[in-house]
Amino acid sequence: MTNRFLFISSVILLTTIGLTWWFQSRQVQPVAITPSLTGQIEYCLTCHADLKEISPAHPLETYGCVICHGGERLALEANLAHSSMRGGNNPSDLSVVEQSCGGSNCHNGDPTEDHDHIQRVMTSIQSTYAGAIANVRYTFGAQADLSPLLGTVAVSDTSIPSQTGILHLDAFDPIIETNPFLQTFGANCLTCHLNSKAVGDLKDTRFTGCAACHTPIGENKAGEVHTLTTAMPYTQCNTCHNRGNYDLRTMTFIERSDQPVTRFESYYQPIGQFTQCEYSLDCLDCHTRTEAMGDGDIHANEKDFEYVQCRTCHGTLTELPLMKTLTDPDDLAFRLTQLNPVVDLQLGDTILVTEQGEPLWNIRLLPDGNYELIGKATHQLFTFNPVMGSGCTQDGQDQSSAYCHECHAVER
Amino acid sequence: MRPNFYQHIHPPTIPAAQARWRYTLGAGGTAIFLVLVLVVSGALEMFFYIPSTGEAAISIQTISFLVPFGGLVRNLHFWAAQLLLIVSSVHLIRVVFTGSYAPPRRFNYLLGMGLFVLVILLDFTGYILRWDTGIQWALVVGTNLLKTIPWMGNFLYQTLVGGTFPGSATLVRFYSWHVFGLMLLAAILMIWHVFRVRRDGGIAVPPPELRGDPRRISRNELVHLEIVSMLLSGSALLLLSVFFPAPIAPGITEITALSGAASAPWFFLWVQQMLKWGDPFFWGVLVPLIVLTVVGLIPYIFPKPSRQDTGRWFPTSTRLAQIVLAVMALVITALTLIELQPVP
Repeated sequence: MTNRFLFISSVILLTTIGLTWWFQSRQVQPVAITPSLTGQIEYCLTCHADLKEISPAHPLETYGCVICHGGERLALEANLAHSSMRGGNNPSDLSVVEQSCGGSNCHNGDPTEDHDHIQRVMTSIQSTYAGAIANVRYTFGAQADLSPLLGTVAVSDTSIPSQTGILHLDAFDPIIETNPFLQTFGANCLTCHLNSKAVGDLKDTRFTGCAACHTPIGENKAGEVHTLTTAMPYTQCNTCHNRGNYDLRTMTFIERSDQPVTRFESYYQPIGQFTQCEYSLDCLDCHTRTEAMGDGDIHANEKDFEYVQCRTCHGTLTELPLMKTLTDPDDLAFRLTQLNPVVDLQLGDTILVTEQGEPLWNIRLLPDGNYELIGKATHQLFTFNPVMGSGCTQDGQDQSSAYCHECHAVER
Repeated sequence: MRPNFYQHIHPPTIPAAQARWRYTLGAGGTAIFLVLVLVVSGALEMFFYIPSTGEAAISIQTISFLVPFGGLVRNLHFWAAQLLLIVSSVHLIRVVFTGSYAPPRRFNYLLGMGLFVLVILLDFTGYILRWDTGIQWALVVGTNLLKTIPWMGNFLYQTLVGGTFPGSATLVRFYSWHVFGLMLLAAILMIWHVFRVRRDGGIAVPPPELRGDPRRISRNELVHLEIVSMLLSGSALLLLSVFFPAPIAPGITEITALSGAASAPWFFLWVQQMLKWGDPFFWGVLVPLIVLTVVGLIPYIFPKPSRQDTGRWFPTSTRLAQIVLAVMALVITALTLIELQPVP
């Protein structure tokens, strides 16, 4: 009797061991990478092998996944692996960007080495929305003047090199506003700044934080995009800009209802006037990194830091645009070209620079005195000539775009 | 050959009644088997586990996902620990429900109670060693309960936690208690407990003249039965380990009791439920201690079973002790089930 029990028990255990072996052999075999920056094994590729590398500047073998995304690097169960990810599927959300993209060698470092992107973005108007908030609060009697007091988040600055910089903004909290319009403003209208998710039909068109600009979604769904680029098309800018109007009476945002077919139609504002370059080029072909990401100071209004005008590229009747001949292989222009190699810049090339010294690295001086511009997003080649020596009859002191539009705007 | 410990616990023959599964439920022997599994699997885990707050959780993930068969070993360790608590409880209930605690086995009953407490403490310290978000509530609430003890609360807290709040010192202390302090005590008590079983005349069975089955079984037959029990327990353990992985969660970044999974380990859920009723010292410390004390003193405060009742299920002479233990067990089970209900 005992021997029979022993036999049956042995068979049961052997069967269980066999079952265990079979079950273990059917488990997912982990796919490991060991990024050189961390030296720690990551198993993320076990499930995400088909995800393309996010950008040439962030090679997988160097960065891996976890250094940016967080998460549990060894977990082979989706829930556990994703449980501690930073910012959900967007580690560049401004609430977590310092942990994800920061670090003195990455995007939170020395301003003189141009590693201070996060500090600049956090204080930029794209993040704080300070001017709009001040204007609306002033309009509805919540503050005595247009002084910027509040931002979408509280920010402070200790060093203010610019004339229009502000020391501090408190956080705007619509709940404590007494005017119901301001409460509605907080609920309906603060959807464009970098801390806010897009709403309505646009909710799948852009992310928050750095990815709002650097991760163009285009035709893809938001969840399927894994890319970072410095070649943002104008359509990405349009996910915030040029997409409708606020109605202050109802305190709502009215989405534009037309369906533009051509690029020219896309600029729909009825009072807008545009020159050819304004609807042929992409926004970032003219507007600089400082204009888009901020200069490190807290400003309230666009006019405080937007400075590129027609003359930046075209010069005036008496002056050519500012130029710089590249002699240093470590010049910022070469770094920027590496990130978006649309131009084969060489030592000795002469490029345009802005009034604040920012390189317009995709615009080169040609031997005939004209200039060539390669579209950063379109890769299209354009040539143009300076105002000096042309038939232009401009007043050299008036360089506002409206002034140039007087002659150069295209009929609409 | 000089008699050894093996021969001490396996005499040449024993009454067949002492090895009847229906009577012993095999709980004591299974508990020893589970302890062996725990020692071996725990020793293997020690090669990879890192008792530091920053690396504990990731080292457990290393064991679970990176080390070949590491996940299986961890699951075996986890399930053996849970089963040990269940099997120990069954063993305790069997001893009380059969009146087996009667003299001369009263002292061994106390040794068994000591072992039972050590198993609970080993389970709890092992649970804390995960140092992931799943254990935060138990860590914070469990250690804070110590502070509520009058006069010595803060001293006990400082001694266990190693500071004013849980941190690196806490983890190292829990680790040392788990793999050394408690293990050493448990090993001593277990050997003593098993040694005393034979010294007290083996497992309590009816006296020879009242025994229905007068047969005796040989050492070989006893070992055969033990092996059968081990094979079946091993199979159950393997199946649980393969199909129900041990819990795992991301590491703790900031210690707070307000995590999403705010829950004690399952064996303390009844205490967690009682904590909602009011004074934490009374419900969280005093009541559990009273329960433990009453159970521990059963052989001393309740009527002794009569000689003819020895070795039988539910003897009438120990009815009061049976009722007290049954009520306690039912209340604890009910409180645990209530606490398991999802919060709406």
